[in-house]
Amino acid sequence: MAVTDDVGAVGAAPALTPKQRRAAERERKRLLKYYSASQWTLIWWRFRRHRAAMIAFVILGLMALMGLFAEFVAPYGPTTRDVRYLSGAPQIPMFCDHNGCSLRPFVHGASTKRDPVTLRAISVPDPEKRVYVAFFTQGERVLILGLFPTRTHLFGLDDRQTKLHLWGTDDLGRDVFSRTLYATRTSLSIGVLGVLISFVLALIIGGTAGYFGGMTDNVIQRLTEVIRVIPVIPLYMGLAAAMPKEWSTTQVYFAMTVILGLFGWPTLARRVRSQLLSIRNEDYVVAARLAGARPARIIGQHMLPSFTSFIIVDLVISFPYMILSETALSFVGLGLRPPATSWGVLLQQAQSIRVIEQMPWLFIPAVFVVVAVLAFTVIGDGLRDAADPYSEAR
Amino acid sequence: MIRLVLDRFVGMVFTMALVSLLVFLIMELPPGDYADRYAFRKYSGTGVNVTEGDIQAIREDLGLDKPLVFRYVDWIGNIVLYGDFGQAFAFETPVTKVIGDKVWLTLGILFATLIVTYLISIPIGIFAAVNRGSSGDYLLTVFSYLGLALPNFLLALILLYFANRWFGADIGGLMSPAFERAPWSLAKLWDVIAHLWLPAFVLAWSAVAYQLQTVRATMSDELNKLSVTAARARGVPETKLLIKYPARLAINPVVSTIGFDVNRIFSELPIVAAVLGLTELGELLLRAYLDLDMYVAGAILLMLTFAIVFMNFVSDILLAWLDPRIKLGS
Amino acid sequence: MEPLLTVENLTVSFRTDEGLITPVMGVGFTVYKGKTLGLVGESGSGKSVSTKALIRLLPGSARIAPDSRMHYRAKSGELIKIETLGNRGPAIRHLRGGEIGMIFQEPMASFSPVYTIGNQIMEAVRLHRGLSGRQARTLAVDMLDKVGISNPRDRVDQYPHELSGGMRQRAMIALALSAGPALLIADEPTTALDVTVQAQVLELMRGLQDELGMGLIFITHDLGVIAQIAEEVAVMYLGTIVERGPTRAVIRAPQHPYTQGLLRAIPSLDRLNDRLQAVPGDIPSPLERPTGCGFHPRCPHKIAGLCDTTAPAETAAGPGRRVRCWLNEESGRPAA
Repeated sequence: MAVTDDVGAVGAAPALTPKQRRAAERERKRLLKYYSASQWTLIWWRFRRHRAAMIAFVILGLMALMGLFAEFVAPYGPTTRDVRYLSGAPQIPMFCDHNGCSLRPFVHGASTKRDPVTLRAISVPDPEKRVYVAFFTQGERVLILGLFPTRTHLFGLDDRQTKLHLWGTDDLGRDVFSRTLYATRTSLSIGVLGVLISFVLALIIGGTAGYFGGMTDNVIQRLTEVIRVIPVIPLYMGLAAAMPKEWSTTQVYFAMTVILGLFGWPTLARRVRSQLLSIRNEDYVVAARLAGARPARIIGQHMLPSFTSFIIVDLVISFPYMILSETALSFVGLGLRPPATSWGVLLQQAQSIRVIEQMPWLFIPAVFVVVAVLAFTVIGDGLRDAADPYSEAR
Repeated sequence: MIRLVLDRFVGMVFTMALVSLLVFLIMELPPGDYADRYAFRKYSGTGVNVTEGDIQAIREDLGLDKPLVFRYVDWIGNIVLYGDFGQAFAFETPVTKVIGDKVWLTLGILFATLIVTYLISIPIGIFAAVNRGSSGDYLLTVFSYLGLALPNFLLALILLYFANRWFGADIGGLMSPAFERAPWSLAKLWDVIAHLWLPAFVLAWSAVAYQLQTVRATMSDELNKLSVTAARARGVPETKLLIKYPARLAINPVVSTIGFDVNRIFSELPIVAAVLGLTELGELLLRAYLDLDMYVAGAILLMLTFAIVFMNFVSDILLAWLDPRIKLGS
Repeated sequence: MEPLLTVENLTVSFRTDEGLITPVMGVGFTVYKGKTLGLVGESGSGKSVSTKALIRLLPGSARIAPDSRMHYRAKSGELIKIETLGNRGPAIRHLRGGEIGMIFQEPMASFSPVYTIGNQIMEAVRLHRGLSGRQARTLAVDMLDKVGISNPRDRVDQYPHELSGGMRQRAMIALALSAGPALLIADEPTTALDVTVQAQVLELMRGLQDELGMGLIFITHDLGVIAQIAEEVAVMYLGTIVERGPTRAVIRAPQHPYTQGLLRAIPSLDRLNDRLQAVPGDIPSPLERPTGCGFHPRCPHKIAGLCDTTAPAETAAGPGRRVRCWLNEESGRPAA
């Protein structure tokens, strides 16, 4: 071993060692790959280097997955009541208690008693009773993604008589953890649908203004100004208040997405318009026109690619507004209504300080709101940096 | 300058006309009309059997049977000519009486919030830009992200919770209960001002986060401008230099977004007001919506929007005064 | 004659994310009262950095090496050792503008857009001449008049964007001169201007220099401009002065291959039929400074084994001329 090492070092002293040559080869390949990469690959590479944005991306991805597979991840349904654990505190699985330790995590069982003063039903933990946490337990029959029936849930308790409430229960005994997961799905999907609707509207309205310019543009600008000037949540509230009380949960859900989408477009439309207007007179677009390219080709090949990345960034940063608006509306009772669950609907239960004082765990969905909005903002910033072709590359 | 003021003024009136139309359409949106709801309110639970004829009578009485356009003209005409915003059925009183002095409370909250916003965001944004990359700058970046992510009404709840826990005090409301029905006096005014800081801080929360980023970014740009180097090269003292050259220009984007800030504040006002128990227009608007008291809701929405449009106008004029490069039409 | 400013062994380095870079290395020159020194070089040659060091205008990441000397004879006769002053404080502020004035390349960007020309001139006057109010204004109007701006009484209340490019540069000169400096540093003052305006501004600066007897450091990348204004020239490359001497002599018979290349790259009416010859290659990044003579990778006459290993010292090359090149030092070898 030592001999060959010596020989290698002596023989390669003036030239490159094989290791160096391999490194140089790698470097050349890397550069080749870099110079021949497409715009989107480049953006992805730059985005991947943005550490905060990547973390936010993973968190948001996990959140979305948990929401999407809420039926499987959540141990119980969103409206399932546990009458034996009303207004119960979060149960944190533990390995040790005063009776010693165990390798399997467990929680203490509980029993409901009446508060001697207020006569309210309260749950009293029973420290002598151990119930073990188990994975892939059998529970309620659910349809995953609305298609695949199963009774298996990600986790639960050994003992089917007692229920595990990671984040406690509300005053009706509904599991906060499960409800939060279902709410995550509702809130995120409203955001997605709202953003999609406003995106289509923005493309149509901004595109019309930017493509035709002149008088059309003027009129559209005036109308956009009117919508931008009305405070947006009171406006949403006005539309939401008009929803008939007898509408079903599904109807209200879709009405909400339409309302959010209907007035979310001005910022995006403005971006589309200004980009179109400025690109219209760019030399390369004029050159394409002079070369006899058809309008469709000019728009598709030359104009759109130059600002798709900006539009995607704008789409990502308009998510938080949708999510916050939905939360705010549902919070004051003008948005989604129980039995639907969304972050805002859940937080409605935590509206007064008295409740927060007695059951602070009802405030947990707020953490989801903040984390989701934060994640979208950070991802938006990361994407913006990545999409900027002049930012430092490689 | 006078032409610019006139031009912007005409624009303002035009925008307001369109806004009023949109607001009117929203008022018309809920199923059924005012007469339905009026009859239902008035007679439900009284055992009186309301017939379709009775409702029709109310409708004709109030002119609700006329076509939409006429009703709009009636509504807006009464507002412009007589300051009459119609009837608030929930209280069987004119809307103006329901709203009453709440307009002034709302404006008080608005200006307190704006002052808090600018007093915090401008100096701190400048500080962050001058000390770019320092730990203080980093901390402020984190804070402004949080400011954008934590909705104001949740912040209000959290503050209420901790105030209650630590001081055992309810810090909500706009005035002490003793003054609730008292006529306006200096003592009452002072009491309101003393209560104003909490809503002002809560409402300023996200506006501060937003403006902080704006001021920091513009200030950073301005600091690298040649005019700053040139001023330094002629021996202008550093503090005076910072204030006279980059900071003076870093304020422009703040001034140009005053209307935007007012919009943001009013947008959050109803919900924050509900949480903090503020008795002003936002809270009234929310209640009006929940009760479908659309004349009250429309009047408030119109007033809030008018305030925003007016502040936009003010910001345009201020900006033209601050920046000599701005000319009419650009 | 006693020099106004003597710079010796000036070395400036910057801390950057990629490491320490040294854009100015061992630069020395002398400026006399009433005379003009031309500093010539491509962008990145260190000419702006070395003059900014003179009034300590470099950013916080910059360091001036401890053995650098920048000695300035103030109007009061006192000798100021600039290298001992800090970046802040009254001493350096007095020097900036009051003793050493500076004019920048872009007149539009050097004025703040939100104050009138007069406001910014009067600020300098108040700071350095102790005049106030009406007197400062009168001086500002006089100065604008002196630099050839018509209607100075009206112009003084105008904003920078209301003046044309040439007017703005005249106003910038008025601003620099109004503080009464004994030395003026002009950093590419005519580069951003049209050719005809360029000639007017050069003419104006020469006239003002004669009238006020100032020393002048004129920075440019254009040897043609230097020929019109400077008595003496120093050619910079990669942070060092490679050739210096009386302007006429240097331009007639350049000794350093870089100066020769620069001169060949100037379009000339005499050589209309020849092709212009560019200096081959690019100026290297300060992070990848070549070993030996900094110019050797681009030099057509480089001596292998010498130029790429050892940096040449500055040697005399005729009356008042010095050059930093092995071709001159190794007089045995033919200078091609």
